[in-house]
Amino acid sequence: MNPTSLFSVVSRRTVLMGALLAAAVGQAHAQAQIDQPAPAFNATTADGRTLSLESLRGKTVVLEWTNHDCPYVKKHYGSGNIPAQQKEAVAKGVVWLQVISSAPGQQGFVDGPTAIKLNEQRGSAPSGTLLDPSGQIGKLYGAQTSPHLYIINPQGVLVYKGGIDSIATAKPEDIAKAEPYVKVALGELAAGKKVSQANTRPYGCSIKYAS
Amino acid sequence: MRSLILFSSLALQAALAWAQVPAAASPAAPVSDRSRTDEVEVRLISASSRVQPGQTVLLALEQRIAPHWHTYWRNPGDSGQPTSIEWTLPAGAQAGQILWPAPRRFDVGPITNYGYEDQALLLTELKLPQDLPLDRPVTLKADATWLVCREECIPQQATLMLQLPVAAQSAAGDQSARLNEARARLPKPAPFQVQSRLDGTELQLTWPAQTSERGKATTEALFMPQDWGRIQHAAKAVLDRQGDEWRLRMPVGEQPAKVGDTLEGLLLVDGQAWQVSSPLGGSAAPKADGATGANAGVVADPALGGADNLSLWTALLLALAGGLVLNLMPCVFPVLAIKALGFLHGHAGEHRRQGLAYTAGVLVAFAALAGVLIAVRSAGGSVGWGFQFHSPLFVMLLAWLMFLMGLSLAGALQIGAGLAGVGQGLASRPGLTGSFFTGVLATVVATPCTAPFMGAAMAYALAQPPLPLLAVFLALGLGLALPYLALAWWPSLQRMMPRPGAWMDVLKQGLAFPMFGAAIWLVWVLAQQAGPQGVLLALVGMGLMALAAWLRTISRFAGPRGRWTGALTAAASVAAALALLPLLSSESTDSVGAQAKAGADYEPYSPERLTELRAQGKPVFVNLTASWCITCLVNEKVALSTPEVRQAFQNTGVTYLKGDWTRQDPRITELLSRHGRSGVPLYLYYPAGTGDNAQVLPQILTPGIVTSALQGNAT
Repeated sequence: MNPTSLFSVVSRRTVLMGALLAAAVGQAHAQAQIDQPAPAFNATTADGRTLSLESLRGKTVVLEWTNHDCPYVKKHYGSGNIPAQQKEAVAKGVVWLQVISSAPGQQGFVDGPTAIKLNEQRGSAPSGTLLDPSGQIGKLYGAQTSPHLYIINPQGVLVYKGGIDSIATAKPEDIAKAEPYVKVALGELAAGKKVSQANTRPYGCSIKYAS
Repeated sequence: MRSLILFSSLALQAALAWAQVPAAASPAAPVSDRSRTDEVEVRLISASSRVQPGQTVLLALEQRIAPHWHTYWRNPGDSGQPTSIEWTLPAGAQAGQILWPAPRRFDVGPITNYGYEDQALLLTELKLPQDLPLDRPVTLKADATWLVCREECIPQQATLMLQLPVAAQSAAGDQSARLNEARARLPKPAPFQVQSRLDGTELQLTWPAQTSERGKATTEALFMPQDWGRIQHAAKAVLDRQGDEWRLRMPVGEQPAKVGDTLEGLLLVDGQAWQVSSPLGGSAAPKADGATGANAGVVADPALGGADNLSLWTALLLALAGGLVLNLMPCVFPVLAIKALGFLHGHAGEHRRQGLAYTAGVLVAFAALAGVLIAVRSAGGSVGWGFQFHSPLFVMLLAWLMFLMGLSLAGALQIGAGLAGVGQGLASRPGLTGSFFTGVLATVVATPCTAPFMGAAMAYALAQPPLPLLAVFLALGLGLALPYLALAWWPSLQRMMPRPGAWMDVLKQGLAFPMFGAAIWLVWVLAQQAGPQGVLLALVGMGLMALAAWLRTISRFAGPRGRWTGALTAAASVAAALALLPLLSSESTDSVGAQAKAGADYEPYSPERLTELRAQGKPVFVNLTASWCITCLVNEKVALSTPEVRQAFQNTGVTYLKGDWTRQDPRITELLSRHGRSGVPLYLYYPAGTGDNAQVLPQILTPGIVTSALQGNAT
């Protein structure tokens, strides 16, 4: 009776069964999952073009759900935090897309020209703004809050989903103390590393979907 | 009359407030006990209108929330932010965490939140210092931050201040009944057992069916996890009945709990919210790092067939293996070696009877241990393996027993059968009683050694209903008894043992020294539990026992009168030793704390300190240990206190926290159980960053294991 061999037999079987189970259940999930291909979409941009995720293959893509009236979004725009991150990322060849999933009549809903004007006023310069009033793309990705961020790598695989940083408050003074998850993740991707914190808690206002 | 008192006390407060408010506080920003926005009216309330030094005051932050708006629970769900309170208090006062009432669930499209509407009373207990000066009011300041949402969300904050007069006697305020009632309504631990399991990407909770069927049938149940990401909040939970159990199934969320973690939250059944804190069992693949992650996965592993009783079989097998390994532990081995010498006498039939008696002794002792654990647990206590070593009395008695056995082996004590069979009978007497008590003794001395394989089986057993718990304990005992039983049963095995001869006496006398060694170690343990006075009592007791032994020995060959006198004085001497027992009291000084002050490179463990360091994102190494845990001491000696490891700690900026479980400490028991353990040692490494996931290191450490764990962080 060798306890070591008993132990290794049990744990090997455990690993196998666990992997099989995970694979079986994983199939049932259509939503955006880390290390899985990011759900494909076609969207209308604020300047009236049509953009498909497929056309951005080969580039790192950031999706940022936003709602300009949400206090948490105001925290990161008013302080210049998100605009600065957008500029830094775009300068390094990253495609940074805002996504607005607020339904007509709900907080945060804007038309294309207004979205562009808002960005000018706030010193924000994303690669583009996607209008999603039906909430289709938001629900496809399971976006819950504004802001809520997703990063897709050049191979089209989702490598990050979660918050902009680690301190879930509406106070701008907390930005400096927080761990900037998105910035860190983009840095790691650029260095060819795996994203260390790929799945974090998003925080902010709930997205005002059409019900 | 009452209003007069209220008025005068308000007037007094106002006057005192005026006297105390420093000039810097401008009258433009008046602070009061209440504040309001369009959405929320907040108020700081005390259950006591007058407080006394050392008192624990019940406070509440009351939120009156406008219709259709809500604030949030500790886990706000998919969005939102929990209310927080930052206290500014008089020196020495300590405010506890918010005691959260049961929230309700809000579903907004694909998003689910947990929070409060209309009204929320967020209670906090405030402990005042003993040296609070009388006749000067205390000022309690609360900076409250909350988020209030309808469709849109508004973060709000307010600074609230409350002044309470201090007197020798406290007095209840007019809100006291309301606050106490709110406290009584806080969710309580479920009175029935709730078990949790991770099954692939599904989290399952099960609880006995009859407990939730008072009056009406259960049609709805809801689980609200305390932490974000444990489940997909918005997904519909499926409730079904499996035989005698209700089962609630939920898809796991973005940060699922791992097997072995403690799943915490509220279970809502039949309109009642129960607190759940359940070690997560399941079939998820174990973590690749370290033996313990894998251990935890094995505990309740349905991989061998998918049924729960099979995981019990796994636990039983592990327990059996653990019991076998226990035989090799330094505490048990000498006892067993002495007993095995007995085979050099007598015949095979006698040996078998002795083997059975020994096994019976072990099993009875393990059953008794299980019985005590079940009793303590059903009384609501939390206990772990080796719990009896928390009692200085037990340690002292065991030290004396070891000393007596040493005397007996060395030939200084000649005593008869009965319980004394543990002594003299150990080596030469074929008495069945002796064998039985050797079994009991082997169990008793084995408990401080948590063998590597026992951790998982014990953790499993302690989370089980009484019967499986007993079964696992008996399997453990059977494992411990097995080598001796085998030796007794098959004479061919005995033939492999050396022939009898004069060397036996020498060996027997030589074995006295491991016994003395054990006694010395126990006195050292006692020194930390009961201080210098405990050591004095233990040593005086040993002196008296040696005296009794000597008196018995010299009077053995005297006449009847001499024998009587010898026996009486010896008995008086033992009685005097026993009379010392009530004098023993455990000392409250913290041995780890005391050592830390003496310039050691670690800090005493406290949950607060750990949280603080984690909040700062610093890497932390936690060592949970106890003086009576030999494995712990060996690990500290050969791994943790080597220059190599110390240097590695320094280089990586690790804060080394040490938790001493020599005496019972619920905060350490809590951390142990959170990692599915019931005993020490436990080594945790939290890498830099604010994540809450610790890497569990193996129970047998080498400098290499520790340093490579630290390096894993650096790369």
